[in-house]
Formats: sequence, C-alpha cells, structure tokens
Amino acid sequence: MADTKNETEDTKTEFEELQEQLKEIKDQEGIIGYILRDQKSASIDLKDPRRIVDYAVLSSTAFDASHEMTEFLQTGEPKKMVLESEETKLLLMNVNNHRLSLFMEKDVNHNKLYKKLK
Amino acid sequence: MNRDPYAIALNNAMTEIKKAYPDVQSSFIFTKEGTILTEDQETDQKTMDNLKESFENLKEKTKAIGKLESFYIMAKNGKITLSKIKDLHLLLVTSKNANKNQIHSITNIIIPTILKTMETLTSTQNQLTPSKKLMVDTLTGFFAGDSVQIDTEILKTWTKTGNESLAHIRNVLTGEQTIPENIEQVKIETFGGKSTLCKVKEIKEQKMKGKNMIKIPEKICKSLEIKKGDLVKVEPAL
Repeated sequence: MADTKNETEDTKTEFEELQEQLKEIKDQEGIIGYILRDQKSASIDLKDPRRIVDYAVLSSTAFDASHEMTEFLQTGEPKKMVLESEETKLLLMNVNNHRLSLFMEKDVNHNKLYKKLK
Repeated sequence: MNRDPYAIALNNAMTEIKKAYPDVQSSFIFTKEGTILTEDQETDQKTMDNLKESFENLKEKTKAIGKLESFYIMAKNGKITLSKIKDLHLLLVTSKNANKNQIHSITNIIIPTILKTMETLTSTQNQLTPSKKLMVDTLTGFFAGDSVQIDTEILKTWTKTGNESLAHIRNVLTGEQTIPENIEQVKIETFGGKSTLCKVKEIKEQKMKGKNMIKIPEKICKSLEIKKGDLVKVEPAL
C-alpha cells in the first residue's frame, strides 16, 4: 500500500517536472505548443487554441500509425517519432507513461528537445 | 508486382540499394494515391495492405498542418523512414544502427536521381514512339501462349521512329552503339488504368492485318479486366 503511494507520489513529481520543462520549452522561439496525454487526462497548450481538435486528431493518428507500422514491420516498440509537413514539425515520444506531442516550426532542432525531455 | 516499366526499374534500383547498404532491411514506394509501386518480395500482401492503410490515414490527418513530407520512427530494434520524393513516398526500414548519412543519401540523393533519370527517359521515349489505340481480340486455346500479336506495319513504324531515340538512350547509358531491330515487348494500358508488359509477335492471320487490332491471350485479358472489342493503349517498351 505504502509502496503504491510512494510510486504515485514519484510519478506525480516526474509529471510536474515534465510540465515545468514543457512550459519552459513552450516559450522558446518556433514552438507552436504541446499535447501531453495519459490514459485518463490530457494537458494541452497551443498558441492557436482554434486548432486543438486538428492537432489532437493528428497526434493520436501519428501515435497509432507508429505503433501499427512498427508492429507490421517488426521493429519493436517505437521510442521517438518525427513527422514533418510542408510547414510544421511534430515530435512524438513517450515520457513516464505519457504521450507527448510537441508541435514546432520546421527550423527548430527537435533532437535537442528530445534529449532534454527523454 | 506492378509491371509498369517505371516500377520495374525502381524495383531493380531498390534491390541494388539493399545489396549496397546491408542496413536497409526492406523498402516500399507508394504513389500519392496510395498505390504500392515497388515492394519487398519478403513482405506478405496482408502486411502491405495494413501498411498502406496506416500510410493513407496518416497522410490524410497530416493535411491539418500541410502535406506530409516525412515521418521517422526510431524503434527499439530498427528505424522506419517515410520520405516524400516528388509525387512518391518511399518507406525505408533499416536496422537500429543504420547510419543517418546513408539514409539521407538514399532518400535525398540516390532515389531522386533515379526518378529524374527515369522521367527523362520516359518522356524522350513517349515523344518519339507514340502509343496507339488498338481494339482487343482475345487469343484462346491451348497455344494462346503469353505473347500478344500486333500488325507488322505498326511494329515497323515503332521500330523506325523508335530506333533513333532508343539508340540515343542506350548510348548514353551504356556507351554501346547497338540499335534494336525488333520490338520485343509492349506496354498495354487499359482505360481503367491497369497496365502490363507483354512479349509481342506479329499478327499471323491475313484478314486481321491493317485493322488496328491487338490479339491478347485470354488470361492477360482477365488480369487487365478487358474483353473483346475494348480499346487499349499500346506502346513499345524500352
């Protein structure tokens, strides 16, 4: 019981740390926003709130596609995904059992952000 | 497998790339419509269909932020790189230790160069050896074989107009000076969009000559979903 409580507290701390890191990243030049999801809740911070639905659907589809593709091609569990469109870049990763989608402009160095967050 | 000469050449190129870069495990090329142009021989049809569905879905949802240019997955045991090259998408599966520069060379230099060369060759060939619209007659029976039959005069026209361009292309690619005397293969394209490459022979029956007809074995008609009396586009294959 006590172990479970400690585990929850640890996770909470890690989650809070992650949110702080994301807040910091969000203020950087070229960052459009992020979606952080776990099984029960989601934390969304986007510069243009009108696009929440589009971005949430894309994020979920990209996670699903990466799981499907890695399963079909037997490459094991996906760790890091980067999707690029004509205008925007999306970094997807799992952090402490949370699915993180970070939207940014194309010239932002996503590898630097990945290293910081993993 | 797609029998289009363009697809065959791309497939051969991908096979050679796989030999040259052992970290490349498999590769697929999709058209913008989601059709699979080249595929890995070891991958079964179900996997191909599932991949196609995932790709289509992802491409559709990405429209919210513009056209899909690339999708990279770093997984526990390998890397998957999906890149847009002109109107096509290349999906490359590599080992987890694959060199980033090698992947970049394949997706950004080698494949685009091959595509550019193919386009140049195809447009040169199309300009000088125009396709003909011919009416289908079916070849049935035990001796139907797998070759189509076309009027000698049409074959002669193609040989005459095509020799110059074919010779030029071959000279550029191989440095040889040989000129083909006969057309050995033709590309048949239906108006429903299906196409195939077939061996070609001269039409045998005297009464069929000069009628702009093509005799096609029944099994090829079935695969192309055409029947007697339909029109098809036919052109010599390079």
